[in-house]
Amino acid sequence: MTDLQDFMQGCSRAASESMANNQAILSIEDLSVSFETAMGRVMAADGVCLKLHERETVALVGETGCGKSVVVSSIVQLLPGNASVRGRAIYEGRDLLSLGEKEMAGIRGSEIAMIFQNPSLALNPIIKAAEQIAEPVIIHWRLPKSQALDKAGEMLRRLGLGNRAIPGMFPFQLSGGMNQRVMIAAAMILSPKIIIADEPSKGLDANSADEVMGEIARLRDSAGASLLLITHDLGLARKISDRMAVMYCGQIIETGRCEDIFNQPLHPYTKALLNCLPQRGFQPIPGSSPSMIEPPEGCRFYPRCPERQDECCMKAGLQMVRILGPEGEVLREVRCRLY
Amino acid sequence: MRAEGIDKTYVSGLVFRKRHQVLRNVSLKIEEGRTLGLMGPSGCGKTTLGMILAGLLNPSAGRILYHEKDIRNLKGEELRAYRRGVQMVFQDPEGSLNPRKSIERSIHEVLRLLKTPEKEWRSRTLEALEGVGLSEELLCRYPSQISGGQGQRVALSRVLLLNPRVLILDEPTSALDISVQAQILGLLKDLQRERGLSYLLISHQPEVVRFMSHETAIL
Repeated sequence: MTDLQDFMQGCSRAASESMANNQAILSIEDLSVSFETAMGRVMAADGVCLKLHERETVALVGETGCGKSVVVSSIVQLLPGNASVRGRAIYEGRDLLSLGEKEMAGIRGSEIAMIFQNPSLALNPIIKAAEQIAEPVIIHWRLPKSQALDKAGEMLRRLGLGNRAIPGMFPFQLSGGMNQRVMIAAAMILSPKIIIADEPSKGLDANSADEVMGEIARLRDSAGASLLLITHDLGLARKISDRMAVMYCGQIIETGRCEDIFNQPLHPYTKALLNCLPQRGFQPIPGSSPSMIEPPEGCRFYPRCPERQDECCMKAGLQMVRILGPEGEVLREVRCRLY
Repeated sequence: MRAEGIDKTYVSGLVFRKRHQVLRNVSLKIEEGRTLGLMGPSGCGKTTLGMILAGLLNPSAGRILYHEKDIRNLKGEELRAYRRGVQMVFQDPEGSLNPRKSIERSIHEVLRLLKTPEKEWRSRTLEALEGVGLSEELLCRYPSQISGGQGQRVALSRVLLLNPRVLILDEPTSALDISVQAQILGLLKDLQRERGLSYLLISHQPEVVRFMSHETAIL
């Protein structure tokens, strides 16, 4: 329990109070997603609870295949037909998961925008950049095409693509970084309240990735939007997020402020993940990620955990433990028997 | 292994030929059992140099020496020894494996080339997987059904079957998660210790080069 006591002493109260006072703009409650496949039932997300407050940036971090993208795709109802979704995602008093396609189409793009990974694949290769950016304006705001194209050009200029030729170019004529900017422009042109960015820097070299992330943060601030960032890059998560949720094998295992998690990780998986960072000497996590078809009973990290105890593998589902501050505010949540 | 005064110029266009020189008078030395880190910005010719060393591209000028012999003059058994002795591991593991062949078939392909008797295939395959920390259940899967880290391990196991002396690692971990990156780097270090392998590690991540390399070259 020493970790916990140290953390309680070291936590920054002011920031957590402001978070508690702020209203949640999106509240994901007990979200479970499974897929029926030929190999069996894949439990991609299990009991995920996450809050995104106004003007807040939350990073959902974890290894590839842990279910991060499934969680955000289910919020905007972009999962394939073989997915079965349970739980709720409350946005402005409405449960997004129970909305019909027509209502959802009205929210998607205009109020909740999504920036996908691999922009060269996500953009239509045979439609010019400016037309792809203008499309949401024409559909949602019903502006004439010429005005929408003007707006698209202005958006591209704001993102540093001021060259006159760029709006008339096709995605295959642009570099990966430029395509990602086109996608950001298309996502941000309607000034959404929530931006979901799914690995926005994936496939870009270090310089382009930094620039793209800078643009996203700048647009987020100017629009006063909240950002849900999906990434496996811990350094990036720390740089631009307020809070972090760590996911492992379909479950969120720890949440808290980024600095608190980096300075004092509580869950053994979070500790192990941080030890993989270059500045901590690339210490690998022993073993490999478990199957999502037959996940381990009890704690899912149990087979690889250096701090495991006999009761960790017990069948009963492990619940999130809330760690409260002196005034009852939630400082940290962790899914581990040690706390 | 040494490279001496390597130049490489790419020529493009049919009528109006454009010349683009990527390497100019590059020399380097890879010593036995050691790692040479090769760093540089995108597009500076790191991969081109790696491919020239592996014999996959011809240089416009200069020569490559393997055990002090120019590789252009190698013939017969010596050429085979160089071809097997110097292997390249690429950035994208999915791109290095045939998507239409199961992992087992991909490994058997190498054993066939090595003229290994068919009755030994099973045991050699399992041995190869064990060497890179993979389990037998992976054998029936296809490249799209395994993770990036597993794919990189499979690619590495195929290369190791040839019993190479020099591995040219072209950004071997940049497509992988941070936790898998740590595992692969640890595995590469273990293999170097056990087999005395030499590495040319091409990377744009200074932390990776610092962690792995004995010497560093900047292009």
